[in-house]
Amino acid sequence: MTAGTSPLDPPPPDPSSLVRLTGITKTFPGVIACRDVDLDVRRGEIHALLGENGAGKSTLMNILTGIYQPDAGDIWVDGRRRHFAAPVDAMGAGIGMVHQHFKLVQSFTVAENIHLGWERTPGRIRARDLAARTLELAHTVGLAVRPDARIDELSTGEQQRVEILRVLARRARVLILDEPTAVLSPLEAEELFKTLKRFVAQGNAVILISHKLGEVLGSADRITVLRGGLKISTTRAADSTAKALARLMVGHDIVRNALRVRGPSAARVASTPVLELRDVAVCDATGRPRLDRISVKLHGGEILGVAGVTGNGQKELSQALTGMLPVSAGNILLGGVDFTHRNAREFADFGVGHIPEDRLHSGLAPALSIIDNAALREYARAPLSRRGWYRPAQARALAESIAAAAEVRIADFDMPAANLSGGNQQRLVARREMRIATRVLIAAYPSRGLDVGAIDTTMRCLAQLRDAGVGVLLISEDLEELLTTCDRIAVMCRGALMGVADPESASIEEIGLLMAGQHATTTALPDLRG
Amino acid sequence: MDLATGLLHTAVLAGGVPALAALGEVLTERVGVINLGVEGLMALGAVTAVVTVVATLNPWLGLLAALGLGFAIGLVFALVTVQVRANQVLCGLALTLLGSGLAAAIGKPYSGTPVPALFGPLPLPYLSRIPVLGQALFSQNILVYVIYGMLPAGLHYLLFRTRHGLNLRAVGENPAAADAAGIPVQRIRFCYVAVGAALAAGSGAYLTLCFVPSWSEGVVAGRGWIAVALVIFAGYRPINAVLGALLFGVTTALGFLGQARNWPIAAPLLSMLPYLATLVLLIVPVAASPSLRRLMAAPAALGLGYFRDER
Amino acid sequence: MTYRFQRSATPPGSRVIAARGIAVVLALLTAGAVLRLTGAAPVALAREVITDTFGSSFALQDLALLVSPLILTGLSVSVALRVGAWNIGAEGQFNAGAVAATGVGLYVPGPPLVVLGLMLVAGIGGGILWVAGPALARAYAGVSELISTLLLNFVAGLLVYWLATGPWLEPSGRAIGTTARIVPEIPALWDEVHWGLAAAVIIAVSVSMLLTFTRWGYEIRLCGSNLQAAHYAGMPVRRHLITVMLLSGAIAGTAGMFEVAGTVHHLQGGISNNFGYLGIMVAVLARRSMLGVLAGALFMAVLLNSGIILSTRGVDVSTVLAVTGLVLLYTAIGDEIAHYRFVRAPEPAAARINEMSST
Repeated sequence: MTAGTSPLDPPPPDPSSLVRLTGITKTFPGVIACRDVDLDVRRGEIHALLGENGAGKSTLMNILTGIYQPDAGDIWVDGRRRHFAAPVDAMGAGIGMVHQHFKLVQSFTVAENIHLGWERTPGRIRARDLAARTLELAHTVGLAVRPDARIDELSTGEQQRVEILRVLARRARVLILDEPTAVLSPLEAEELFKTLKRFVAQGNAVILISHKLGEVLGSADRITVLRGGLKISTTRAADSTAKALARLMVGHDIVRNALRVRGPSAARVASTPVLELRDVAVCDATGRPRLDRISVKLHGGEILGVAGVTGNGQKELSQALTGMLPVSAGNILLGGVDFTHRNAREFADFGVGHIPEDRLHSGLAPALSIIDNAALREYARAPLSRRGWYRPAQARALAESIAAAAEVRIADFDMPAANLSGGNQQRLVARREMRIATRVLIAAYPSRGLDVGAIDTTMRCLAQLRDAGVGVLLISEDLEELLTTCDRIAVMCRGALMGVADPESASIEEIGLLMAGQHATTTALPDLRG
Repeated sequence: MDLATGLLHTAVLAGGVPALAALGEVLTERVGVINLGVEGLMALGAVTAVVTVVATLNPWLGLLAALGLGFAIGLVFALVTVQVRANQVLCGLALTLLGSGLAAAIGKPYSGTPVPALFGPLPLPYLSRIPVLGQALFSQNILVYVIYGMLPAGLHYLLFRTRHGLNLRAVGENPAAADAAGIPVQRIRFCYVAVGAALAAGSGAYLTLCFVPSWSEGVVAGRGWIAVALVIFAGYRPINAVLGALLFGVTTALGFLGQARNWPIAAPLLSMLPYLATLVLLIVPVAASPSLRRLMAAPAALGLGYFRDER
Repeated sequence: MTYRFQRSATPPGSRVIAARGIAVVLALLTAGAVLRLTGAAPVALAREVITDTFGSSFALQDLALLVSPLILTGLSVSVALRVGAWNIGAEGQFNAGAVAATGVGLYVPGPPLVVLGLMLVAGIGGGILWVAGPALARAYAGVSELISTLLLNFVAGLLVYWLATGPWLEPSGRAIGTTARIVPEIPALWDEVHWGLAAAVIIAVSVSMLLTFTRWGYEIRLCGSNLQAAHYAGMPVRRHLITVMLLSGAIAGTAGMFEVAGTVHHLQGGISNNFGYLGIMVAVLARRSMLGVLAGALFMAVLLNSGIILSTRGVDVSTVLAVTGLVLLYTAIGDEIAHYRFVRAPEPAAARINEMSST
């Protein structure tokens, strides 16, 4: 077979191509993550990899950085075929990745993390020297970091800067970023893109993994769309529209419903709050304040959104609202009754459902059966329990009805919950919680990890609960989602409530300012106290 | 030798056994692997040393044989726990049972026979003439100086002052981060698990060549477990581990003293002292000060196998 | 077309059982090979062991006397594992229960059945006392219960030794290292086998039912599986941890009382006979099933019995421990390997979606 003639041969090398992937295929148990994907990244460009959750973007990049081994396909760098058996090989070829879940050692300092595994670190180390070298590097690249801080004391935005610095210090020519703006305020995101533009102007390349259309259109040069493990298209950003890209991502037209509009039978917003926080303060295990005297009222029949960069107290808020976290000051009232020192079971019995942020670790016991997990909220009530006796047959019936309502097909209810896909786990947990949420539902990042169809269903379910008179608190990092579903949007920053916005009138810029920590200044924003 | 000096001398000598094993276990646990087979390794090292010395009349060969055997077993243990990634707790318990049983079977013909060649005392010039401390600390055999001086200092320097030590610690804290940074996680784990096991076996050789100069079936008497407890007490730091071992040595020496002086407390009760003391060391500091718990925290990935290619 | 191994998060039960079966067989083969190397004849020995173990009524009774304490110590470790705790101290709790029961049996006067009842209470109390410290340390200070319970094993062993050779030594001076005969006895079930065996089986079944059919049992299983989920559901995690560890100690202490009052009728050094450590093996084999404890106990009893029989043929008794270690090692490896299966990698898709032209 002569080269360059058969369609199976890779195309002739392109001098402007920095990295090229051809025919990449990767499978995991039960799922094909990538199927015959091609990607071409040129010098000087920001190339976006767009797709829904589960489309195969992260897997593809993990292959490019040597973490996974492809089942088939090749990697070409600078026109030469390369094989990356381990991350160190990819790094040697100039490819560096900033993962969605940072690969930082929490108990080490910033300087120590930067110098980890690096041949240029001196054999003998002293904290002072490492700090000086870190500052020098930071200055060269144009990022601000604090060398002596421990990673677990930094905000997520700061941690991301450390990650980027670490990768750039290794002379990366291709910088891969996985969903970088999920943890940044709009202002920080702007700063990040300025840094990226400077980087590619030097002849390097950036691969940006994202599922956010708007951001990708605004910052990328070319966009590749992945769907279901397949590469769908590669286009120039200038030639694409949001609608066309969305269609390619999902395979059909998406219609964003204005869920705020209610039908005639919907319950009206209650006059008295069903859930109220009064000057609540919470400290974490090391004594640091996580919630800073928050006061908020949630009424039955409304959806109150909570916006804010991840890591600003949202997790503590959702845990305090469901009785999981002891409160160091202030009061929590449910239906007018003081629930401040009651435990999570009592909250659930009152009718507070909780879709947790981290469903695999808090909402489920992955090693136990699906039945045991389905029973997690109702195991102590009839018909599952009577006078201390627990009836597994009733639990099975409950599990079956939850699965049916969630539209999840399960072959074997006795198998461990870990065997389910992430999306199915989320659907089951959400349905389980919605069953007991007769008064309040606290939903923390319910769309995470779901595809567009499932997100749509979830939002509709929240609207249904709202129409039935339940008060819904929706914590989300997706401003668009909040703007289309919520009646009011509260904004959190550094554990405090910065203000409440009205989705009808507020702009993304205004909310962005609140997220970044600037208090509400104009009278156009209504007071959050009911 | 007066009472206090004699007590301290015995304490230092006795403490050397768990000290050496604890130093090895500090390395092993710092790279994220928990080796609960120390007790079995100690027994095997002890019996190997005795057998070798009886055959060759050279204590150095006995020590070397024990270290070599420990290293080899450590490699197998690493293969099972780091490569195959079987449950580390179970494998460690298995190693203890296997090691203790094998050692008892091998050692049967040698039970009770005194070891013909030991490590003799090596008084340090000038230092050994200091009153009390000179006799107690500086008139010991050469292994004591290594275990209490050179090794902890060297390991401390390695772990906290070198680039290699930084990488090594990262492997135990977050192997995924270490891997992404280009550190050879598996290779480092293999290496230090084997070294730790070698030191554990070496501590058994020290036991039968320096402290109790003969083999019998129950001679190890839980010192391997004491070593594991000391590592926790020490917050995974070499110098603290050795100090903890010294405390253990003091309680052991007190027990001997009581028996020699015919104190009204019976011998078995005095023998309980070291275990109870270790228990107190394990529980009291952490229970009294919750902030200490964070400082002395175990490496975050301790006991967990690392899978790079897992969704 | 390439083949490779693929790991799944949770293996099917059938594969795990198969892997364990292979592990046990391999361990026995390895032991046999080592025996051959030392000059013994493993096949002949094995045949003798089988006939001696199952051959006569006396032999079966000996086996039954070993099964009973193993069921209880295995149950003790297993129950603790269900809540996520490693109770390696079953050996010490066994001894503590034996000591307490002996104390009552020797020095509390009264009609035999009443004293027997008090001995049972004492046995349970001894076991609970011996695990209480480590349980509280784990619940309130996060101290590893694996190490703390284990250290107390040595203390308990020394305690038994001291009592049996010191204050409670047989007064007539005829025996060394053992107490006087304890008068109250557990009634016989079948010749030498006492009711303790039946009681052990009943206890195992009861615990199994408690864990499956009560609300408390559900909460325990959840606490042991995922602490964060237990907090999320508002369960009293600390209380459950302590309760279950105390239960675990109580069961082990009961085993000690049964041994003293039913089998040996004296307190002597070594009465715990490694039952506590072998119980760990039983719990591992049982794999979270209380009823699996019964099967595991039977297996370990046969192994232990074989060791005793072999010791009369010149093979050292400590080989039983070594073989147990080998079985444990191979089981641990087998459990991990059961996660993998041999898989064919898929072909790349022949057709591709139309590419929009790129400039």
